[in-house]
Amino acid sequence: MMTLHLKNTSLPIAEDTEDEVLEKHLVPAQIEFRRVTKMYGAVAAVQDLSLLVHRGEFLTILGPSGSGKTTALMLLAGFVAPTEGDILIGGNSVGSVPSYRRDQGIVFQSYALFPHLTVGRNLEFPLEMRGVKAAERASRVDRILERVHLKDFGGRMPSELSGGQQQRVALARALIADPPLLLLDEPLGALDRSLREQMQVEMKSLHKEFGITTICVTHDQEEALTLSDRIVVMREGQIEQTDTPEALYDRPATRFVANFMGEANILENPGFEVESDAAPPFGTVAMLRPERVCVAARAATKRADADQRQLVTGIVEDMIYAGPLRKYHVRAGNSVLIVREHVAAGQQIFRSGDEVRLDWLRSDVRFVTA
Amino acid sequence: MKMFQALGRMPIVLTAPALAVLLVVFGIPIILLFLTSLSAPAFSLANYEAFFGQPAKIRVLLQTVEISVVATAICLFIGYPTAYLIVAASKYLRMALIVLVIVPYLSSGLVQTYAWTVIIGDRGMINNLLLDHGIISSPLPLIYNRMAVYIGMVHIMLPMIILPLVSVMMGIDKSLMAAARSMGARPFAAFWRVFFPLSMPGVRSGSLLVFVICLGFYITPAALGGLGDAMLSTIMASQVQTYFDTGRVAAEAFVLLAVAIIVLSMLGLDLSVTQGRTAQRAGKSWVSWLPSSGGQKRYRSELIAPLRAKRWTAQLYRAAGDGCWSNVVGAMLLMVVMFYLLFPGLLVVVMSFSAGKFLTFPPLGLSLQWYRSFFGNPSWYAAAWTSIQIGAMVAILSTMVGTLAAYGLSRTFPRLRRILTMVILTPICFPVIVVGIATYLGLVKLGLLGSMTGVILAHTIGAIGYVVVIVSGTLANFDRRLEQAAKSLRASPWKAFMRVTLPLIRPGIVGGAVFAFLHSFDELVITSLVAGFSVRTLPLKMWEDIRHHTDPTIAAVSVLLMVLPVFCLIVLHVVGWRSGPSSQRALSDHRT
Repeated sequence: MMTLHLKNTSLPIAEDTEDEVLEKHLVPAQIEFRRVTKMYGAVAAVQDLSLLVHRGEFLTILGPSGSGKTTALMLLAGFVAPTEGDILIGGNSVGSVPSYRRDQGIVFQSYALFPHLTVGRNLEFPLEMRGVKAAERASRVDRILERVHLKDFGGRMPSELSGGQQQRVALARALIADPPLLLLDEPLGALDRSLREQMQVEMKSLHKEFGITTICVTHDQEEALTLSDRIVVMREGQIEQTDTPEALYDRPATRFVANFMGEANILENPGFEVESDAAPPFGTVAMLRPERVCVAARAATKRADADQRQLVTGIVEDMIYAGPLRKYHVRAGNSVLIVREHVAAGQQIFRSGDEVRLDWLRSDVRFVTA
Repeated sequence: MKMFQALGRMPIVLTAPALAVLLVVFGIPIILLFLTSLSAPAFSLANYEAFFGQPAKIRVLLQTVEISVVATAICLFIGYPTAYLIVAASKYLRMALIVLVIVPYLSSGLVQTYAWTVIIGDRGMINNLLLDHGIISSPLPLIYNRMAVYIGMVHIMLPMIILPLVSVMMGIDKSLMAAARSMGARPFAAFWRVFFPLSMPGVRSGSLLVFVICLGFYITPAALGGLGDAMLSTIMASQVQTYFDTGRVAAEAFVLLAVAIIVLSMLGLDLSVTQGRTAQRAGKSWVSWLPSSGGQKRYRSELIAPLRAKRWTAQLYRAAGDGCWSNVVGAMLLMVVMFYLLFPGLLVVVMSFSAGKFLTFPPLGLSLQWYRSFFGNPSWYAAAWTSIQIGAMVAILSTMVGTLAAYGLSRTFPRLRRILTMVILTPICFPVIVVGIATYLGLVKLGLLGSMTGVILAHTIGAIGYVVVIVSGTLANFDRRLEQAAKSLRASPWKAFMRVTLPLIRPGIVGGAVFAFLHSFDELVITSLVAGFSVRTLPLKMWEDIRHHTDPTIAAVSVLLMVLPVFCLIVLHVVGWRSGPSSQRALSDHRT
């Protein structure tokens, strides 16, 4: 049960205290993928996937389209059966259990609200299927509607709701029967940006309140970083890396993860020597996040911690203003580095053609497998 | 150019030619017919009293309703599971099954009725086989009874209910079923609570369509039924052909129409109750399912849609009735239904190559004698030539007038569009015998009864409806911004239409023309009333031959009639395929 068959795993417990480590190991994993493979014809949508999900955890499966993340979710939901391997929920194999006998709530990408039923009837549906009495159904519907701030919407049809409201109904419908497991398929994909941020906060608080084990599938790395306790990055049917959001962003294991989780400067033959505290492991390239790089005028005075920093000079090619951020493309050696700094008062602004000095902490340099 | 710009501002004017034809040939006559039924200047209910005073007439009316209801119920009972299985089948199998349903849908009802006389007639296939094997000593009374009427009618109507059902079922979001099951609904509960209510629009439109066609379609009951199985339409048609008390027939027509309207409005009421629920579907009238082309387009686009991550939904959908028993039962049902739909046609094909002197099955040998007889007999090939000429004229006229009307309708506001669409579609929504009698009256007034022009006009009023439905369907998918883009690039409205709109809706126009041609080519009920003695179309000639003597040449003619729709299907396919997929793919690429 405790064995992890993960490719490239930096342990999720790296930053936990000893007590927390102990606690996590005492609580049995709720879901386990054991070397699961799903073939569609000759194509493996998911290949040799092994994964442990802890009770109460918010786990996000992140990947570009075609990475097998949706298939992983559908395997868990019981809509498709694994070609090889097994899936265990609470220690029991569920390979042959049809979806309607599994106790789980799913929020579909399209929400899948029944267009012929009112919001209230939609919410009642899972309770009805579980044989809950009408009176209790009604009170539970009222309660959950209040919880998702849709108190007076029980009589409306789904088509009369806005996208955000539909999303909340879909979430309420998945949660109303108190399932131990919640599956989210690109839950915020159809919402616009401001609504998405609002819903992220909302979902986080719902997750905390219900304490429900949640598995979310998305291609939006920002959504994954905001919501998750742990993130699984998938690529071509296999797990690329599993880690906490911080670790995944700060210490990506591979070049793919580095690029997928935000912008990265990959220093591959940059035309200058990359200094680092430790010798680079074999087969890796140096990576530097754009916000770790500082830009200054060429003649600026040295910083106090200059001995821990690497300095290079370069020429600004481009400046992009993006509200709270300013982004420079700076040519240094034979590579172009992206530099990101927060806009602040009294800051010197560089224009294209300006000669600048870039510097960064040697400890901020990461090595990722190429 | 000025005029065209003015038309651009008043798009509704474009419906004028269609409405004019309709009004002259059908609209004014049916009003006259109504006045006649009320013994016009005097205004009395004498004609209706006469009708309801005759117990025999009332019995025929009840019988007509009964036969229509039973036939519709059987169609629904067989058609619903068939449509469900077709939708649940894998993509290529589904395409194949749909084509197998469309082929009998497009072949002439007359040919299919004829095929049944060959199968269940006293000297037909079944009786011959049984007699030859000594199982029976005298022919079983399979034909000329109510059973035979149902067998023949259901056979013709089944595709008309399957196609709208398939179309609606394909539109049901498959993730809804997945959602239901994830919430603990067993397969049957998921079907009953989610899938079935969502398929109701198809059930409603399909059964209405079948019911109204049954009310007015007298060919099959007349050919396969006994004397006791007469429909009101049979009696009306025979009256028009022999003596003609206009007032009486008019009253009968309006009684039949009243039955149709009562049933329509009953289900129409139902529509308004559930309007909120099926908001987007309620707006569509049931006739919009009439020709299968709108659906066809969807099937095509499904076929060409690149394989996407949606695969799992298809899988789970099929698993709706998991367990191998239900699969076996489903496969058997599909096979039986397909056999029922296709066997009569195939049988006629085999018989047409028979070397025997009579229509017997199995044929005694192979020969082309009946095809020779067809091409050697002037009365046959002249009739075919007449039909082709009429069909071509109808196709040209109705396509021009109908496309203009559809374009005008698409550019006007929704309420007016709905009303005018209903008006234009009346000739194909009313029981056909009522339309026939009204048209008869109209052509009498125009002095065109028994002339080619008269028959062309009579066919055109129905054909316009088909063209409008099909072209409107294509226009609904047409992105109006493309035309605006063209205008922003300095194209005049006329140029924008010719260079952008027209090429993009061409598949719809060709489809409309093909349907118009087929409609005219197969038309028998109205033609038999208005053709008089000088115009002999192929279906008319066949109908007379079927009734009077069974010249096996009919088998050869039937095959030619069946080859035609298949040929048209191929034409449609070629036209639609070339412009459909490429533009759709371009759009979907754009979106992703």
